[in-house]
Amino acid sequence: MNSMRVDQHPVLGNMGQRQKLKFVFEGKQFTAYKGDTIASALLASGVRTLRRHEDKGTPKGIYCNIGHCFECRVRVNGQNSVRACLTPVENNMIIESNVSRTMTSRGGKV
Amino acid sequence: MSEDQTVICRCEEVTIQEIKETVKQYHCSAREIKLRTRAGMGPCGGRTCRCMIDKIVEQLGGPSVSNEVSLSYRPPVRPVSFGVLGGQ
Repeated sequence: MNSMRVDQHPVLGNMGQRQKLKFVFEGKQFTAYKGDTIASALLASGVRTLRRHEDKGTPKGIYCNIGHCFECRVRVNGQNSVRACLTPVENNMIIESNVSRTMTSRGGKV
Repeated sequence: MSEDQTVICRCEEVTIQEIKETVKQYHCSAREIKLRTRAGMGPCGGRTCRCMIDKIVEQLGGPSVSNEVSLSYRPPVRPVSFGVLGGQ
């Protein structure tokens, strides 16, 4: 589903051919274009919930989109607290919601 | 959604209602609000909500913001992980 992507822009023109990249978010395969950030690729694919609040469990997604607020932090290739809005997608990236499974299984806060 | 449910601190999910109630109960400063509710203590380091908390407390009649008691800025200015500071 690429319904939210602007492929033909009245000022910027047609986006044309771009290199496709594959990545995995929460175990599901997604496609991005070269130059996408993790946040933009997921938003274009209809994913708005990037993680859940560690304590209250409420859904969290893009807020400032300029790296200021840390709302969009995700886990990328095992590294915690990576900002999805600033990080370009690379091929075969493994992205997870920012929850450490070992911590939560013990009932602790992350 | 009522106005009181507006989230002020997004990292710690503190609503304006919680801040109002805390100011009412303890007549406290912005710094004390931070310590009591955790507003401004999340991963963004208070960069998103610090000004709002200062203003809300001031408007509710809490102690006004002075350099000595406002929410403090501590180094490092940007949030970094311990791994960045001390290696993996």
